Amino acid sequence: MPQDGPQAGPRRAAPWCRLLGAFLAAALLSACDGPQSVLVPAGEDASQIDRLFRVMLVGAIVLWLGMNGLFYFITRRYTGAISRRRAEAVILGGGVALPVVVITALLVWGLSIMPDQRAPGDGLRVRIVGEQFWWRVEYWPEGAEAPVVSANELRLPVGQRSEILLDSADVIHAFWIPALGGKMDMIPGRTNRMTLAPTEAGTFRGACTEFCGLSHALMALNAVTLEEPDFDAWLAAEAGPARAAEGPGRDLFFREGCGACHALRGTPAQGAVGPDLTHLGSRTSLASGILPMTAEALAGWIRDPQAAKPGAEMPAYDHLTEDELATLAAWLEGLE
Amino acid sequence: MTADATGEATGDATRGHGRFGTDAPPPQGPFPPTEAMLSEPVPGDVARAQEDRLRRVWKTPEGWRYFSDVNNTSVGRWYCLTAFFFMLCAGVLALLMRLQLAVPGNDLLSADRFNQFFTLHGSAMMFLFAVPIFEAVSILILPALLGARDLPFPRLSAYGYWCFLIGGIFVMGSVLFDVAPRSGWFMYPPLATEDEGIGSDIWLLGLSFIEVASIAAAVELIVGVLKCRPPGMRVNLMPLYAWYVLVVGGMILFAFPPLIAGDLLFELERSLDWPFFDAARGGDPVLWQHLFWIFGHPEVYIVFLPSIALAAMIVPTAARRPILGYSWIVLSAVGTGFLSFGLWVHHMFTTGLPTLSLGFFSAASEAVVIPTGVQLFAFVATLMAGRVKMSLPMLWIAGALAIFTAGGLTGVMVAIAPFDWQVHDTYFIVAHLHYTLFGGMVFPVIGGVYYFFPVITGKELSNRLGRWAFWLIFAGFNLAFLPMHLTGLKGMPRRVFTYPGDLGLNWLNLVSTVASFVIAAGFAVFLWDLLRPKGSRRTPRNPYDAGTLEWSQSPEGETWGVRSIPYIHTRYPLWQQERILERMDAGRYYLPDAEAGQRETIITSVIDARPLQVLRLSGPTWVTMLAALFTGGTFILPTFKMYAPALICGVLAAMTVLYWLWTATARIPERETVDAGLGLKLPVYVSGSGSVGWWAMWITMLGDSTAFASLVFGVFFYWTARSDYPPPGSDHADPWLAGAALAAALLSWGLTLVARGLNRRRRRGARLALAAALPATMAAGAALFYALRLPGLDPVTHVYPASMWVLVVWAGAHLGLGLVMQGYCLAGLTFGRITPRHDAPMWNVSLYWHFLALTMLVTVATLAVVPRVM
Amino acid sequence: MIDDPTLEQEQEFAEEEASLIKLTFGPLIWAAHFVLSYGAAAVVCAKFPAAIAPLRWAIAGVTLPALAGILWLAWLAWRQWDFFDRDESHDRSGERRHEFLGQAAFLLTVPSFIGTVYTALPALFAGTCR
Repeated sequence: MPQDGPQAGPRRAAPWCRLLGAFLAAALLSACDGPQSVLVPAGEDASQIDRLFRVMLVGAIVLWLGMNGLFYFITRRYTGAISRRRAEAVILGGGVALPVVVITALLVWGLSIMPDQRAPGDGLRVRIVGEQFWWRVEYWPEGAEAPVVSANELRLPVGQRSEILLDSADVIHAFWIPALGGKMDMIPGRTNRMTLAPTEAGTFRGACTEFCGLSHALMALNAVTLEEPDFDAWLAAEAGPARAAEGPGRDLFFREGCGACHALRGTPAQGAVGPDLTHLGSRTSLASGILPMTAEALAGWIRDPQAAKPGAEMPAYDHLTEDELATLAAWLEGLE
Repeated sequence: MTADATGEATGDATRGHGRFGTDAPPPQGPFPPTEAMLSEPVPGDVARAQEDRLRRVWKTPEGWRYFSDVNNTSVGRWYCLTAFFFMLCAGVLALLMRLQLAVPGNDLLSADRFNQFFTLHGSAMMFLFAVPIFEAVSILILPALLGARDLPFPRLSAYGYWCFLIGGIFVMGSVLFDVAPRSGWFMYPPLATEDEGIGSDIWLLGLSFIEVASIAAAVELIVGVLKCRPPGMRVNLMPLYAWYVLVVGGMILFAFPPLIAGDLLFELERSLDWPFFDAARGGDPVLWQHLFWIFGHPEVYIVFLPSIALAAMIVPTAARRPILGYSWIVLSAVGTGFLSFGLWVHHMFTTGLPTLSLGFFSAASEAVVIPTGVQLFAFVATLMAGRVKMSLPMLWIAGALAIFTAGGLTGVMVAIAPFDWQVHDTYFIVAHLHYTLFGGMVFPVIGGVYYFFPVITGKELSNRLGRWAFWLIFAGFNLAFLPMHLTGLKGMPRRVFTYPGDLGLNWLNLVSTVASFVIAAGFAVFLWDLLRPKGSRRTPRNPYDAGTLEWSQSPEGETWGVRSIPYIHTRYPLWQQERILERMDAGRYYLPDAEAGQRETIITSVIDARPLQVLRLSGPTWVTMLAALFTGGTFILPTFKMYAPALICGVLAAMTVLYWLWTATARIPERETVDAGLGLKLPVYVSGSGSVGWWAMWITMLGDSTAFASLVFGVFFYWTARSDYPPPGSDHADPWLAGAALAAALLSWGLTLVARGLNRRRRRGARLALAAALPATMAAGAALFYALRLPGLDPVTHVYPASMWVLVVWAGAHLGLGLVMQGYCLAGLTFGRITPRHDAPMWNVSLYWHFLALTMLVTVATLAVVPRVM
Repeated sequence: MIDDPTLEQEQEFAEEEASLIKLTFGPLIWAAHFVLSYGAAAVVCAKFPAAIAPLRWAIAGVTLPALAGILWLAWLAWRQWDFFDRDESHDRSGERRHEFLGQAAFLLTVPSFIGTVYTALPALFAGTCR
């Protein structure tokens, strides 16, 4: 790819129509879906914005065609000069009257949905803290005195509006689950607040959208929405201690000092530097949304975290043998 | 276009004279000139002698001395080529980034290198191309548009250019050493403040240096438009480009200073650990975002308006009729200029500000559509009313319109806050901003290059190559950026060095990458057309048959600009004023001669352009380059923690500038008045509000006050943003010392005014008053310092003392500058450089001191009173 | 061709210089209204979030005089533009400087008026600190 760069332009320029065709076909095939797409909403807020977008898109296309059609017509086809008065009417009509009507309507619509988008929550509060380059997640059900701590994955009940409190431990991040709603920054020294109301059960991908340093591109997470009973059951399980089975895996975990940074509730591991690992195996992804939750991926991650995520703070455990890594990874994967 | 467009038919040269502070002999002689005077022929031998003298005076230095030139045509050319070169560099970075993003999980570029590239791509395109190219093009063509010989401060232009070159190479070159800034072109703290390495310092110091140069250029251009118009060119007859220069110059004056204030806070945090953006010590990173975007959004329009201005010159020529809705376009330029300052928070819609606050900015962002719409429809109406002749420049304008309207419409979408919450910081925004910048800047500028090329070089660019370049760039651009809207909607964030393969983004990214090379091919064609040898044949003088004054530039490559400065009473003089070219070339109009052997141009009144003065311009010199080198050292050396050499450079820079001012400005002329032609006698030396120096001071101080206001805004911002500002139980500034500082400053101010008055009235004691003002100024600085030092306020501990100290630093630096100015005037009085009649420096220094007195008043109130009320 | 500046000429010049500044009065009212509304919202939402309802009324209370001011400026500028003067020597399109300054000032009140109305809309439709 890089080698044929310089001469690529002129050669490809001539059949650009063919490229456009290929692009359109590809665009139609892949259409709008995708795990991180704004265009397949699964939450009240995202749906409201989606409706707004579709109307704006149609309007924009019509206005674009109108404006450029007019311009083409007057520069290429039209020959008779019109009078000065008529021309001034064009300025007044096109430059003032038309935009005032369109823009005012759009602005009123846009402003009036803003309070909805920031409506208060129904009970569950989730506090998410952005760190380079992962997410600390705390669930505070109504009336709870201590949070249920987790990391790198967000679970929310369908049919409820949950309140999300956003904070940062280092630099500015931004929290965004496109299928559920708009994004919000996480700023050190400030606690930002947003609410999300999922309408469908499913797994949706989200990402950090404020540039936060070296591995900004590798800071993502999955949001899993569950029907209310499923969510309650899951939260109850999540609140429980780690099922840290005795065995060589556990021994390795403690021998290598993993507990100094990571917590496993119900065990001596109480570190709070890195992500909580109490129910690691039950999560849908590893390393904040960039690796699958498999024993192989876990082993690779432990051996050399910087390879997967430059700038990650976790040290490399490349002194462990392949067998040790596999044992540790399998044990960690079993923490469900 | 009536014959009566001139307004009153009679008048005389003295009108509009008599502003305060002017002690110059009034203009004498008839104005405006009568038809009889203009039709009188100039004798051939007289004309030839005049031409010889003009040629000698305006001769461009040759050989290596060429680079000591300060004439706007040389400086403007260097400026344009340099800005274009930086654009190409930033474009190459973009191509490399596109290669990295061609496929998911690519490892062509490391994360760190990619981050450096996108940071530098944005910073260079904005600070080293988009804004400088406006200044470059304006320096190059504005005097031609106004029939002036040069801008009022040629050496300032040259100084600005050398600053730009040094700063640009410093910032751009850092990427070759792998130490480029890497926190994004917006440098958000705490990421950027805590970044290890020198990248952030390179960005801050290198670009601050260029921002100062930008403000210098803005001052130059504003004064140029207001005071250097040809006699008779009233404000309602100015070419539209001049209106835009005026508006954009004003915008730079109010938009750049907040960023300079922000840079100051930022660098104080990085080098002295003053916690302005550190939340743990009461700071707030959001303040930087406010200051950055108060600059950053007007910046978008600072980039866009001049390009539209180029379109406003090209469209009437294509329509072969005067622009329709001239006043409408003025409305839209001024209106956009104002509204653009109410949009900045739309870059901060996701920072969690109150819904109501966001609503204001959403509303203002939509309101700005109206002046923009007026602008575009004025062009449409002009084309409808004329008989269009499509030319190559017009093709670029049409392409610009197609692209810009798409960018504008997505702009309307993202101005609606809820929609922005979804697409903010995604590739949708990448697409949107490139549509606005290509449509609102790149295409019109290239169109402008094709259009004005004959004016500047006397050669024409190739029509065939121009069309190739157009279609390659146009097609490539749309293929590359149209898909990005979808890429963003499908969830791809900005500023990512890679993306996973299972989000459905692969095809879209591949298409964008391939198409980016089509754009590059288009630019390669354009570059070749620009640089290829074009033979020695000159094109005809006015190949597009345009109506404005720049096409009257002397055809044979003379460097004097216009042979004589015409009397203008129409908007399109070449169309509407008969025989104007012939009379200009014959030397029938004003300043046809250079008898004193010095470069001269005419200064006119602001509204009606009545001739007021013949301004002596400074000629080629190395001093500007030296001053820029030392200024560069002052800004660049601190990056490497070389503070002592930086200080030495600073002192040398100050000395160089003083030498420059002392030897080349406000020189006492050998005669009080000179013959400006057509029987008009004009003064050479003007002081007070009639002089260009006074205007430049006034305009500079407006910008300076804006930076100061930004620092004061910071104090109020912390108060609203933090509950611990000021921290409970904190010490405050000593009110007595602060009061004493104010009293001493006001005394010094008063003494400066007294000195000016005594000198003007030829009384004794002026020097004594100035000599007494010096210790008063020093006392004010010392009292201000101890007002914070004595209560033991330590700026490192908390943002409250830091925000007080920064005000003291600011006021103290201005007192220091005020001291130098007072000393300069004292020296001027002592060595006969300032006399009762020739006292321009005294007036300019008094004006500076008015602003300084106000600054001190606000500083002392903010130190001593405000925190006690909070 | 007399050299003395007469009083009348001085006055006329002063009027015209003021006219260039007058151009900006409409946008300046918009700017003042905008800064006031934004500043008040920032302070109220940060320090007294309970006072949001009075704030909305206050914004309405500032908007009406602002709009009245803009309309008054528009009327003054309209008269200076002299749109309906059909005198032959009189060019309605603002070719002449005096009329031009009036016309430009009038036209500038249009976006100022719309902008000011727009600034008030959030208080109506999105009047919350959340």
